[in-house]
Amino acid sequence: MEDLKIGVYICNCGTNIAKVVDCDAVVESAASLPGVVVSRPYKYMCSNPGQEMIVQDIKEHGLNRVVVSACSPRMHEPTFRKALQNAGVNPYFLEMANIREQCSWVHEDGAQATEKATSLTRAAVLRVAQHEPLERRSVDMCKNLLVIGAGITGMTAALDLADAGSKVYLVDRADRLGGNVARVDLTAPYLDSARDMMTERMTRVVEHPNIEVLLNSEVEDVSGFVGNFQTTIISKPADGKGTPTKVTHDVGSVIVCTGYKEFDASRITHYGYGKLPNVVTSFEFEKMLRAGRVETKEGKAPQYVAIVHCVGSRNMEFHPYCSRVCCMTALKYAQEVKSAVPGAYVSDIYIDMHAFGKGHEDFYRRSSEVKTLFLMYAKNDYPVIRKAGPKDDCEMLIEVNETLSHETIEIPADMVILMVGMEAREDSGEIARLVNISRDKDGWFIESHPKLDPVATTTDGIYIAGGCQFPKDIPDSVAQARAAAARILGRIAKGKLDIDAVFAEVDEDHCSGCRMCNELCPYTAIEYDAEKKRSHVISALCKACGACVAACPSGAIAARHFTDRQIYAQIEGVLA
Amino acid sequence: MAIRANLKLIEELERYGAQDVSNCYHCGNCSATCPFSSDHSIFPRREMRMLQMGLETKLESSLDPWLCYYCGECSDDCPRDAEPGETMMSLRRWLTARYDWTGISKLFYLSWKAELLAIIIVALLAGAGFLAAGFLLGGGDISVYNGENAFLPAGESWYGLPTGTGVHLFDWILAGVLVFFLSTNCMRMWWKTMGRDKSVKVPPHLYIAKIFSLPWNFMSQARYAKCDRKRPWAIHLVLMLSYVTMLVLIMFFLERMAAGPGVDWKVHVFGLLATVGLLATTIFAMRGRVKKTESQYKHSHESDWMFLILLVVVASTGFLQFALHRSGLDVAANIAYVVHMMAVVPMLLLEVPFSKWSHLAYRPLAMYFNEVREEAATAAEKSAVPLGAAQAA
Repeated sequence: MEDLKIGVYICNCGTNIAKVVDCDAVVESAASLPGVVVSRPYKYMCSNPGQEMIVQDIKEHGLNRVVVSACSPRMHEPTFRKALQNAGVNPYFLEMANIREQCSWVHEDGAQATEKATSLTRAAVLRVAQHEPLERRSVDMCKNLLVIGAGITGMTAALDLADAGSKVYLVDRADRLGGNVARVDLTAPYLDSARDMMTERMTRVVEHPNIEVLLNSEVEDVSGFVGNFQTTIISKPADGKGTPTKVTHDVGSVIVCTGYKEFDASRITHYGYGKLPNVVTSFEFEKMLRAGRVETKEGKAPQYVAIVHCVGSRNMEFHPYCSRVCCMTALKYAQEVKSAVPGAYVSDIYIDMHAFGKGHEDFYRRSSEVKTLFLMYAKNDYPVIRKAGPKDDCEMLIEVNETLSHETIEIPADMVILMVGMEAREDSGEIARLVNISRDKDGWFIESHPKLDPVATTTDGIYIAGGCQFPKDIPDSVAQARAAAARILGRIAKGKLDIDAVFAEVDEDHCSGCRMCNELCPYTAIEYDAEKKRSHVISALCKACGACVAACPSGAIAARHFTDRQIYAQIEGVLA
Repeated sequence: MAIRANLKLIEELERYGAQDVSNCYHCGNCSATCPFSSDHSIFPRREMRMLQMGLETKLESSLDPWLCYYCGECSDDCPRDAEPGETMMSLRRWLTARYDWTGISKLFYLSWKAELLAIIIVALLAGAGFLAAGFLLGGGDISVYNGENAFLPAGESWYGLPTGTGVHLFDWILAGVLVFFLSTNCMRMWWKTMGRDKSVKVPPHLYIAKIFSLPWNFMSQARYAKCDRKRPWAIHLVLMLSYVTMLVLIMFFLERMAAGPGVDWKVHVFGLLATVGLLATTIFAMRGRVKKTESQYKHSHESDWMFLILLVVVASTGFLQFALHRSGLDVAANIAYVVHMMAVVPMLLLEVPFSKWSHLAYRPLAMYFNEVREEAATAAEKSAVPLGAAQAA
């Protein structure tokens, strides 16, 4: 092995580091460490001149290892690795010490911070001496796509990919396409017909040569890794008789678009749902609208219609979150009731009017203009619905503590529409396990990054879109569907997938086949080979978290770039 | 106890001229901009809300609509074009109908045809009555305007009746009828707004302590002057002072007014000034309503027009008979006089107690009641302090 020639670079980060840490002292102390050839401070290491300095030193002094003491490696490790690569050195011969977030930003005592920065830099120097050259690899990207859920989101994603030439398997448990949107009459805020919208989507999906629709079907298994999944789908025969068929397909990506289910209104006893015949849920009312008959159970046109918002949403007892579509849907009902029964009086009982989207505020105004009475109630102070007396000119009375007027008032109603919120489907846990993604406390699937990576998940190649991630309206769901499709198309366009060189490896000679790691791996990246009776890591799935490394009773698993020797060296550096 | 909402009330108010009330989403801009809105009465927002929810009894007991002069700033500032100013105006009409026990106000406000018909009938009756009185009871000669044998004597006796029983007496009888209707309605107003309100206990002596508020507010329009926009206040003040001047002249100086043909400057200068004031302000208002120049002129109810037209007719015919008499055209002066009375009688008999004019009583009364109530509320708060302090201790 050639002689170690380590370059150490201490970044001032303007004054971010330098105002607390005595950078020159760190430079001086690093210079005396074994193998260190160059030790320098610089104002901004990440700047072009900073990177150029490293490249120059590599060329001039023949450096073969580099330590940069600066910010978090999450920020600039890729920057410096690239600099090494440009200078012809393996990028994994870099080690960063975080002397900003872990030193200058969190310590006030300059002397102690300097001591810590010196230790961290020393640890990095000792560690980098143990580094090994690693190579990134690439694997093929299969163009096929599995879409779970054939609602508006699933169909849209399927069409985008199919139009681009991918073979799409569109699976749904139901016996029809369309999901929840197919149950809706008109849509807010432009009062477009949901049916027209869905008919266009469904016709194209059914007729598309690249889309295979699998209804009455469930995904039984998804194995493999990004670009190279194998999926097994079980389809029940349409008439319910006969044996289910099972098919297996290769797909490169999976989009989960399983949607939501509506809140069960009978859980709130105050509203009398299930007991009072003319208390209906929003979806039941949609059914009336679709049938063109807005009438009470007795077949009469209602004189008074009341709409209650946030049923199951925005309260501590059921769901704390906002279901996002109910406000505009309620306003849509106010307008639809007025056009179906022009003489009707509509009361809209809400907590807050969330009119955040494009065209929503106008829609709210128009709903006021058709003389809707808006009544505000406080969170967790539910209105109470009861049967009216024989002398009343209405069937029910709703008692509301109205917060805009501070009055307790009784509102007459012949029909009450409960705006039921959205909740995660009961099978969301099953789906999460199937494709190895996580759910939040309410059961919604968790995205990779809430702002910057909203449709990807922590499992590479598995995407989420639409209502299964969190309640959202049609435009947002469609936007996510197309975002997921665009993400996948981007990878397909590249043809090959770049796989990180850092992953765990099983030394098969030492593996006892105990399978402890198989269960432990949060990314299901470890497979058991029954023939060899040994486990092995699917490197494309491994995120190098190290759980298996720590757990293996035989010490048979090692993570690249995090070998025992490297870590011991680092510890030694800190403690020296 | 929950109050039952009357969702149909808003439609009732629309017949009184309310517009776009349901557009309001309670941002509170109107109350923020109104110089009269206070912590005790946050209007017009409060009224908008009560009206939307149909809280009939609460609205009926509210004094707030009378505390508003309709400067129009609230309507101009409303982001939803919910017309809070016009809502307060229509509430004043609705309240007038509610205070009136005869039902005439309600009939007039809801049907302009009924109002017009009633005015025409009373005008014709008055015309016929005065002509008959002139020919049968008076001098009988239409060419005599004043003096002992006047066609329509002012204070002198009509034939066969005791002295002092001329038109002057008729005026006083008319005033008595007017005062009877208006005062009974005012008592109903007191009952609806103060009497039955159990939330604030008002000690009777406060009514006496605050009594001077009544003539002060009536005469000075001092409150109106606090509106940010001064022009409506100025116009209203001129109109009101002219009207009161004329009323005083007619009730106490009718004989000197009618005498002639020379000009009695000590009396007539006031009459002329009042006439100019009345004509100038009413014509300005009519022009404003046609051209919709100011926000309070944007919406016109039929009762607004009747108010203005009657005033213009009364003022112009009044001036006309004066001018004709001074020009020696006594026949024409007497005819103008009869026409003048054809406008005056329906105005005093129908319009003042039952229509827009009635606000001359309700508005100062409302301010008076409001001061009494606020004083009582403040006193109640003060006396409650030791109790609260004791509890805290």
